[in-house]
Amino acid sequence: MSTLQFLGDGFAIAFQWHNLLFAFIGVVIGTAVGVLPGIGPMSGVALLIPVTATITSGMPTSAAAASSIILLAGVYYGAMYGGSTTSILLNTPGESSSVVTTLDGYQMARQGRAGAALAISAIGSFCAGIVSLIGLVLLAEPLSNVAIKFGPAEYFSLMLLGLAAVSGLAGKSMTKALMMTVFGLMLGTIGIDAVSGIARFTYNQPILFSGLEFLTIAVGLFALGEVFKTVLERDNEEGTIAKINRILPTKQDMKDSAVPIVRGSLLGFFIGVLPGAGATLASFFSYMTEKKFSKRPETFGHGNIAGVAGPESANNAASGGAMIPLLTLGIPGSGTTAILMGALIMYNIQPGPLLFDEHPEVAWGLIASMFIGNLMLLVLNMPLVRVFAKVIQTPKKYLLPIIVAISFFGVYAVQYTTFDLYLLLGCGVVGYLLSKNDYPVAPLVLALVLGPMIENNMRRALTISNGDFGIFFTKPLSLVFIIAAAAWLLIPLLLKMRGKAVIVEDEG
Amino acid sequence: MAAFSFRGVSKTMSKTFDRYASIAFLLIGLLFVIESTKIASSAYGSTVGPKIFPLWLGVILILLSLRLLYETFTYKSESASKEKLQYKKFLIILVSAALYAFLLEKLGYVISTFLFLLVTFQTMERGRIISTIIIAAVFSFGIYYFFAEFLGGSLPGFPL
Repeated sequence: MSTLQFLGDGFAIAFQWHNLLFAFIGVVIGTAVGVLPGIGPMSGVALLIPVTATITSGMPTSAAAASSIILLAGVYYGAMYGGSTTSILLNTPGESSSVVTTLDGYQMARQGRAGAALAISAIGSFCAGIVSLIGLVLLAEPLSNVAIKFGPAEYFSLMLLGLAAVSGLAGKSMTKALMMTVFGLMLGTIGIDAVSGIARFTYNQPILFSGLEFLTIAVGLFALGEVFKTVLERDNEEGTIAKINRILPTKQDMKDSAVPIVRGSLLGFFIGVLPGAGATLASFFSYMTEKKFSKRPETFGHGNIAGVAGPESANNAASGGAMIPLLTLGIPGSGTTAILMGALIMYNIQPGPLLFDEHPEVAWGLIASMFIGNLMLLVLNMPLVRVFAKVIQTPKKYLLPIIVAISFFGVYAVQYTTFDLYLLLGCGVVGYLLSKNDYPVAPLVLALVLGPMIENNMRRALTISNGDFGIFFTKPLSLVFIIAAAAWLLIPLLLKMRGKAVIVEDEG
Repeated sequence: MAAFSFRGVSKTMSKTFDRYASIAFLLIGLLFVIESTKIASSAYGSTVGPKIFPLWLGVILILLSLRLLYETFTYKSESASKEKLQYKKFLIILVSAALYAFLLEKLGYVISTFLFLLVTFQTMERGRIISTIIIAAVFSFGIYYFFAEFLGGSLPGFPL
């Protein structure tokens, strides 16, 4: 079957009424998640997994997985739309990927052009979403055809590359990022070893036999960690929200932002495909690019609409691009995609090259739903931008306890054990301490998800080669991945030694 | 939500925390190395047994912790800004969350959630008892009935 035919089938799935509803719920919650400063896309997705798991529990596995992933992905890219709202209206980015939007977006709001800035970021996000989806459709087939030839050695090296990329870019200290990665891999070894059936680090506690649940750890580290941070360091900056007068941008605005949107979309997409580099880097690079290409770079920082259009397109395109390694290679390139992958694995669906053959309805249904979801976001965001601006004012005293309660509900509804609730609380405290002291927690979650896969592929490869580690270096593709992994770690170190500033990807 | 920051520019990392953390992770690595040597190696199936991977990880973590410990001696200055932390609020919320976990199966979802929300709402900001009671009640009943009754999920409803 051709790609177009698959895409058509995907649309047939995405247009089922319950999947339309799921996409709608996903993007609405995603926008709210983006607007609320306390929750990022990562904890937003993690918190909704149990809810979707329950709603879809009556459906056949494959359809249930498709519906869940449609909702969860909606939260992910919806958050990219929502993140810009607070940047523009409050000068407080809702997500780290919207930080550069504050530079020109808030200035535009102060000049009474808040509506235009919000509208152009919605339009830019929409175009970027479509661009990245076209890229996804075009690249999915060829990439999974290449990946299907991978043996365990190639997989091991590729996952190593994924981890190296995330550790190389996360946080201020690479030592700390690597420690978090290794620690996450270690946590992943707890439980019964899948190959030999031997219990490791369980100390005869039956609760540990199945290993630590990644969902509990992710929600604890991100959602509760953020709640504890806000409780402890109550920030009293109650900024005034800029007024929105006119929503539709003028013709001149459209003309000024058309090229930046296209540039931002393409740039963001390719940065998103790279493992480790995500929406934050994409928006930052896009801003630099626009400033460089602009005829009047001095107007940047004083409300130049290109400084909103470019980065906002780029961060949305990056979230679309990040789906490519996840779906075609089965390797998440960021914390949020790691959580999406964990959700798929919960349904016993393994992302990777076989996904397109074994579960085309999941893969293509998701891709098609992203087209629809982006359209919904555009329609929603233009008229409802005032409503979402109100969401910012949700009082923290109600919001924070409710986030704790939702986390408890989410974890308990999936795990049914009190043990996981204590683990959740413990992870919350640890998550707060770690991220406060610049220990990035995203690599930990990624390593926890990838750990068992890395180990199994390593052992399979070594079984093939009779225990000879040369197999990872003699297979050409595997060698390329290992060299790339080493480069990801070494280049930032070299740059640092030369005194150059290195940008860091930070995901919340 | 600290955005992109520049490597090398910011030197506000906490020296004390990093030192304790590096020692803690060193011990964890050590524990992993010792414990993984105790894992029985399987003769069946693979030349590489279940102990190799955790053993290596332990060794790598030990090396990284030593590196971090070394780095803490090169930090230029202790972080100067000491912000006031609201320990009291945090501790009340943490303890009530632990109690919530403890009582969830004993009191049932609705009552324990209601009590937890009531206590934490009041901890965050004293006063407006009636509106906090309403919000806590709506949330706990709402989630329970939506999830357990409407969606058919399973939650411990009320004490038996």
